[in-house]
Amino acid sequence: MSTKPRIQSAIPGAAADFASVMSHVPDITASFFDLYAEFWQHGVVPATLKEMTRLRNARVTDCGY
Amino acid sequence: MSWVSRVNAETPLEAVLGQRPELLSRYRTFYRTLWHDGAVPRRVLELTRLRIAAIHDCEAEWAVRDAEVAVGDADLAALRAGDFSGFEAAEQAALQVAELMPYAHHQIEDADVQAIERALGSTGAVGLLTALAFFDVTCRLKLVLGVEARPCAFDDPPLRRGALV
Repeated sequence: MSTKPRIQSAIPGAAADFASVMSHVPDITASFFDLYAEFWQHGVVPATLKEMTRLRNARVTDCGY
Repeated sequence: MSWVSRVNAETPLEAVLGQRPELLSRYRTFYRTLWHDGAVPRRVLELTRLRIAAIHDCEAEWAVRDAEVAVGDADLAALRAGDFSGFEAAEQAALQVAELMPYAHHQIEDADVQAIERALGSTGAVGLLTALAFFDVTCRLKLVLGVEARPCAFDDPPLRRGALV
C-alpha cells in the first residue's frame, strides 16, 4: 500500500488529502457527502454504535487514514 | 428472499433499502453520479462492475446489465473467469484494480493507479476508484441483505424506471 498520495490534489496549491483529491470529481463528491451525512445525522442506529463500527471497520481493513 | 422486511417497491434492492426512504433517495442520487459525471467510459464501468460481482459471487448484481454497453457472451465468460487478455489496454488497467478491490486492496500498487491515471486522466482515475469501491459496497450490501437476483437491464444506469437495481 502506498504511503503517499497517488493522485495529486485538484485544488492548486492545496495538499493532496481526501477532500482535495476527490475534488477531481466535484459532482460525485457532493452527492457522496450528502449521502454520508444522512448516515451520521439520521436514522435509528445510535451514534456511538456507528462510531464503534466505523473504527472497527478501519482496523479490519487496516486503514490508518 | 431477503430476511429484512420489505416495502412495496419497483426492485428487490429498493424493497429493502426503502426501510430508510431518505437514505435510499440519497444513495440513488449519489450512485447515479458515478455514471453521469462522464469521468469514466460507460463500458469500463460495466466491465469492472461485472467483474466485482463475479468475485463476490453476487448473482443479484451479476444479473443486471447495461443494455447500451451490451457486453457480449465471450467477454462475459472472460469476466467470470478473470481472463482480461482480450480487453483493451485501458479496460485491462481498470480490471486489474477491480480484481484487487474486494479482498486484496492492500495489494494495489502505485503502478496500478498510475496505469489508470494514464488511461483516464486524474479525473477518470478518481471517478473509477470511487466507482470500484461502491461496486464492492453494493455487492456486499446485496449479499448481506439477501437481495434476490432478478435479471434486468439499466435504462438509466444504475436505475431502471427510476429505481435502483
